[in-house]
This record gives sequence, C-alpha cells and structure tokens, in this order.
Amino acid sequence: MSSRVEILNDGGYRSDGRRQYELRDITIDLSPRGTADGSAMITHGLTEVMVDVFGPREAKLRGQTLHDRALLTVEVGIVPFSTGERRKRNRGDKRILELAATIKQTFEPIVQTNLYPRSEISIFVSVLQQDGGLLPASINATTLALLTAGIPMTDYVTAITCGVHSTAPLLDLTTLEENDLPHLTVASLPRTFKVTLVAMETRLHVERVSECMKIAGEAGKVLHQEMKRAVEARTKRLVQAMDMAPRIGGVGGGVDRDVDMDEDNQT
Amino acid sequence: MITFASFPAPPEFDAYLGTKHYEDNDMEVDLNEDDYEPSGRKLTSPGEVLTSSHAFMRGHGTFVENEEVIASVTGTIERVNKLISVRAIRTRYNAEVGDLVVGRITEVQPRRWKVDANSRQDAVLMLSSVNLPGGVQRRKVESDELQMRTFFEEGDLLVAEVQAFFADGAMSLHTRSLKYGKLRNGQLVSIPPVLIRRLKSHFLSLPCGVDLILGLNGYIWISKLTKANEQEGEEGFDAEAVYSSRNDDINEATRAAVSRVTNIIRVLAAHFVPLTDTVLLDAYEWVIEQEGDIKDILSPEVGEALVTAISAQR
Amino acid sequence: MPRPPSPSIPEKEFLFNSLKESLRLDGRQSLEMRDPVFTFGPDLGWVECALGKTRVLAQLDGKMVKPTPERPLEGIITINSEISPMASSDYEPGRPSDEEVTMTRMLDKVLRRSDAIDKESLCILAGQRVWHLRLTIHCLADAGNLLDCACLAGIVAFRHYRRPEVEVVGEEVIIHHPSERAPVPLSMHHTPFCFTFAYFPDPNTPPILDPSHLEQRLSAGLISIALNAQKELCVIQKAGGVPLSQEQVLGAIDIAVGKAVELDRIVTQRLEEDWKGRKVEIR
Repeated sequence: MSSRVEILNDGGYRSDGRRQYELRDITIDLSPRGTADGSAMITHGLTEVMVDVFGPREAKLRGQTLHDRALLTVEVGIVPFSTGERRKRNRGDKRILELAATIKQTFEPIVQTNLYPRSEISIFVSVLQQDGGLLPASINATTLALLTAGIPMTDYVTAITCGVHSTAPLLDLTTLEENDLPHLTVASLPRTFKVTLVAMETRLHVERVSECMKIAGEAGKVLHQEMKRAVEARTKRLVQAMDMAPRIGGVGGGVDRDVDMDEDNQT
Repeated sequence: MITFASFPAPPEFDAYLGTKHYEDNDMEVDLNEDDYEPSGRKLTSPGEVLTSSHAFMRGHGTFVENEEVIASVTGTIERVNKLISVRAIRTRYNAEVGDLVVGRITEVQPRRWKVDANSRQDAVLMLSSVNLPGGVQRRKVESDELQMRTFFEEGDLLVAEVQAFFADGAMSLHTRSLKYGKLRNGQLVSIPPVLIRRLKSHFLSLPCGVDLILGLNGYIWISKLTKANEQEGEEGFDAEAVYSSRNDDINEATRAAVSRVTNIIRVLAAHFVPLTDTVLLDAYEWVIEQEGDIKDILSPEVGEALVTAISAQR
Repeated sequence: MPRPPSPSIPEKEFLFNSLKESLRLDGRQSLEMRDPVFTFGPDLGWVECALGKTRVLAQLDGKMVKPTPERPLEGIITINSEISPMASSDYEPGRPSDEEVTMTRMLDKVLRRSDAIDKESLCILAGQRVWHLRLTIHCLADAGNLLDCACLAGIVAFRHYRRPEVEVVGEEVIIHHPSERAPVPLSMHHTPFCFTFAYFPDPNTPPILDPSHLEQRLSAGLISIALNAQKELCVIQKAGGVPLSQEQVLGAIDIAVGKAVELDRIVTQRLEEDWKGRKVEIR
C-alpha cells in the first residue's frame, strides 16, 4: 500500500496544505430539526455528520427499560453517497453496528442517565460525507446534540484522530492519510483530561503512542473551545430572545431565530 | 494532484496552537457587547466549575465532584439563597404538581391510560382519576374498566392536571374537574415547554372566537370558542358531550381564526418568544392589520416583522 | 426478554473490597493471567484454547478458490465467530449482541487487519488460484475474558496450521498430499496477542489483567490491547467505561508489552512440542 501522494512533504505541509498539527475547518450548526429534542451538524473538513437526539422519552421497547437509569440507544446510518465508491450498507453491517456500539459506550459514563429511570435517550447519527475521522466527528456531533437537548452530562466529549507518519504525528487525518498511516482515535474529557475512548487498528510501535495521546489530548482542548463557543452562542441567543430585548431580530444579518444558527470557525 | 507552490508563507506561530478565530462577525460583535450580561443571567455549560460545595447546595443541572459544584447542562445559572442550579434552555417538560398539561393517549392499560405529555416518560391517568359521564360520583367498578375505551381511546387528546408523582418520576394526572377532559373542535401545536410562562389562567379566550389551552408541557390546544354556559356546566350541561369524539359544526371564519392563531404561535416559537396572553393579542391584532393571507404568516419576512412589531410595543 | 441476573450487593462489595487489597477471588495476582492450556486436535489448525474455565475452539481450513478481481495477488481470509447460548446463559440466539459485535470486530482487527498473515504468500497462480483460509471460532464456555481467549485460539490456529504444498507447472496446479510432501506452515509477519484489563469504579483499586466472569460483570470499564512480542501495537480498544488518565492507558500498554513476550514464548514452545509429537511421513 504505497501512497501516490506525499503525506508530509519536506516543507512540512500535508497533501491538503495543512501543517502537522493543524486541524481541518470545523463548522457547527445547532439549528433544531423536525421534532428532535436536540440536533447538531458538524463538519470536519469534508466529513459531515448530523446527529438528532430524542428524549429522554418513554422507551419504545418496554422489555429493555432499566429501572435505575435511562437507556441509551444509538443508530447509525451511512448514506450511500457519502464515499467515493457508492455502496449501500445495510443496517446489520458489522462495521456500522460497531460504530453505534462505540458511540453508545463512549457516552454511557458521561450522560447522567441515573436521573431518568425507565426512560430512553435515542441518538440517531447520519453520516452525510466521509473524508476520514468518521468516529471523532460522530462523537463530537453527538456531544453537541445531547447538549442542545438539555440532557445532563458530566463533561463535553471531544474526539480526534492522530496518525504517525514515520515518526511525525499528524492530527485530524483525511481518508487519504488514514489509508496509509497507523492512527489512533482518542476521545477525551476536557475538564479532567481523561480519555473515554482509545481505538487503534493498525500497527504502531509502542513508543509512538504516548506522544500521540498527548497531542490528541491537546487538540481535544481546542475542539472543546470551539464547541463551547458554538453552544454558548446559541444559548445566549435563545436567552436574549426570551428576554425580548428591544433589538430583537436586528442582529446577525437577519433573523434572530433558533432555526438559523450557523457558526464558522477556523481552526 | 495537489501542488505546494502557491501556499502562503508558513505562519510564525505553531499552526495548531495559534487557532485563528474570526471576530468580525456581526453576531460575535453583538455578543461581545453583551458581555456584561444586562439581564443578569449567567450562562454555563457542562464541566464548568461553579462554586465550592461547602458554601452552596447543588440543585438541578449540577453535580458535585471533589467538593466542587459543577454544571451538567448548558443554560442559565440560577441561585436561590444557598441553592445553585442550572436551567437548560431547551429540554423536555419537567412537571410540577398542579401544572396544567395537554396530552395524548398512547395506550390503554388495566385501570389506567398512558398519556404522552412531552415529558421524559409517559404520564399515567388512572381510571379512578377521571369523572364519569354525567358527573356521577361513585367507585369505579369492573364494568367501567371494561368500557375504558369509550372514555378515552388511543390517540385522543385531553387536558389534565398533574396530581402526583410515582417513585420513578412518572407523573400521575387527573381530570376530575369539568374544565378538564377530552379535547375537540380544534388543533394542537407543540412548542418548547420553556416558552410557556405560568399565567393566572391557562384557559384563554381570544376575542376572535378562539379558545386556547396552554399546557405547561408545551402542547397548546387551539379550538372553537365554547359557549360560556357549557363551560360552567350547571344545570344545562350536556353530560354525554364530555367524552364525545365528534366535532361541532365550525364555520369558515372560526376555522380561519384557529389557523391564524396556530401560525402566530408557530412563528413566535421559532423566534423563541415566550407566550403570554398579551403577546398573543398584540400579535393577532398586528396580523389582522396586515391583512395578509393566513399562510403568509409563516414566511420568514412576515414572521420577522411580526416579532419586531410586538417587541417594539413593549 | 429476561436479562441475566446481576450479582448481589454483598457479592459485589466482597469483590470490590478484596480487589482494593489487591486480592483476587481465584488467588491470582492482579496482573496475572490464567495459564493458557492448548489442546491440539488431530488435524492441523485445530486448536482448543482454555483460560481457566473459558474455552474456545478454533478451527482453520484452507481451500483453493479464484481470487477477487480487486486483489488478484492475495489470498482470502474469512473469520466466522458466533457466541451461542452454549457459552453462557447470558447470550441468546438471534440478533447479535453488543459483545458479539465487539468480539467479531476485534477478531477481524487482530487476526486479519493487523497483517499477521502474509496474504500474498497465499497466492498460487496470479488471478487464477489462491488459498482461502477459513477460521471458525466456537466459543465453548465463557468464564470471563472470552475475547482474549478467542484471539489467542485464533492466532495459534494460524500458527499451527500447515497447508499442503503445491507445485505450479505452466498453467497446471499440482497439490501434494501431506503424505507425499511435508505441508508448509503459513508465512506470518508477526503474532499479535490480545490482553484485556478491567478497571473498577473505585479509583484506588488497581486494574486487573484477564478478568474472570464476575470481575468482568462488575468492572467499570475494559481496555483491550493487542500487540506482538516486537512491541508493535496492533489494536487498542477502549470504548466507554470509566474515563482513564493517559498515564493509566500507557501503564496498561507497558504491562501488555511484557506479557506479550512471555505469551509468545509459551505459544512457540507448545507448538514445537506438538509438532514433534506428530508423525509426518516423508517419502
């Protein structure tokens, strides 16, 4: 599997013009969709993931309710046109099931499910575009969607991939880089700096791992800032709208409504 | 393939640590102006340390770790004496005893109905908590149990009051008042529960011939005006009509008024404006003045103008 | 759908208190593995691996097929695994449970995607004939840490298996029966082993390696690390569970490095013993 493109050239640039530790553009959209209690859309470069959260609500399957906490269910849908090769994956695909199980297990210790016994919190992840970092984007979007739904969590969860090119660590890999480099995905909690998820599936020497984890942790802090800004800006808007400030509707180049919350931040 | 020729000179700072933010956005500027928080409301988000747990008590939306009170939801910080809580701006309905709610029957179970009330679990309406048709006061017997579906069927809408809570947090409703019961002659709108303020009465009658029931759970029932004597339910009260599922004759003008009010509520909710009777009246007057078509209310321009107009009046 | 009964509170307390003092209910040290016991079957590639009462049977066979058009030069490896109710009453037939999904994916990552087997060496005639290796994992009994046991059984099956020698004359492929010529072992790049650590809700409780069934049920989080004796990590899998600090994760990796070397030695030794015990007639 030799690459046709230079992963990291002599000038220290990657194939898409980024530097080693540079993240891709992140856009966060927290506008409500349909009847969902919380929804978020996040893009990491060309990877685009949309998450809708319903609940806490009455559990759909009574047999699965837990008497002491809420049930977390995750469904992942990957649209066939999200990748170059157009391919329909059915819902029983092991890879999709694994992705769903991973997201579920990542959030189970973070969401305070014990506050909602016998309820269900359903998370629907829709992958619209894939260009590397599918799992981190899904996790970040899920964090945001849970926040907008007002579901209590002990912390943000921020995730990022980190790859190693010979000895140089790279952050936030694209598909091209993911195919060629060993990489690990780290989901961290910004407050305690602990990790809830570490996943790696390619060969990597033990000595490289600690460096990767450290850098991924740092990147998690930056992501946290971005996500927090977006969430707080939205909350502020809603609070202002509720206070019926006299300037209502006159800012942000248009409608001051919950429906139109775009934030472009370059990272 | 991609070439590296046309890239700008590498920045001095570490490309990753030096995060570029653009500050010149309208919205950003607006927010910065408000940094002193004119409303006195402070915002927070999960993982943020609020205070020490020695001096304060933790309320909803917070948790304690290492003797610190930490926020667990995004929202406004509220302090009552020593109690610190964070209120999330958009959540499901958190019920309190005595609240008026509008709900929909989801299931008929032995001696109880399950009611969807936009809460974290379906509410329970016990057979013993409803009035019998005709207002007879007696214990419910087995024959009543067998004809539960003649009172409420799956899909029926009703207005009720929160009576109590079960141990697991589910709420129990009752309809033991002539004000409560099955809903007909109108339509339902659902808005975020936080937008419904507690009012003296949640049964509103607008002068345009429309009755409103503002459920605190965010469900609003908008219907044809019921005549005063029917509502009073004295001697002339039609007992059988309580559980009737048939709509009365509704004329064209009333239908138009119901739709207009519905659309106004939708627009206000989209702009996150809290609903009160005065706001609704102002909005209705404004819409009548504009003489537009009912469906135009939902267009972004009209909606925006509406919100500007009513906020200017305050 | 009845859920398996959860351990009682006194059981839980007892386990937590003993673990706090670094005592395990089966008398092991906190970082001690149960000794793996391998039983080799009559056929090559037939391995039963037991970690205590956990038993997994792995069976590997190969046949010649036409390669996929995308990869004409590579052999094909497929892994079949299923956790049936036979392993433990916790599992039920029907829709794959989370454990099963995790195990299937983990086996796939550890045995197939880690490039342990040189797939190109499985090619006989480019675009025409390649070896198709089928590994079937039968979980016989689950007494904790089924995943490590299955990975171990799988990789040992690969090491144990020998394919018949083939000869290519022009367009013709001649297969030599094992009685004619000695079968050849698979060409392997490395031997990854999987180690699972369990963490407990109390932060002062040390992590334990190779959790037993009860320990696994009561743990607050698992981390599975697959690596080879050459200190190359193949898979790290920590999904959810109690959040760990980076030092804890790195610490677990360090321990796994040492264990991998040890396990590699045991496996190699057992395989040699078995090979010597087999009578292979060479004419």
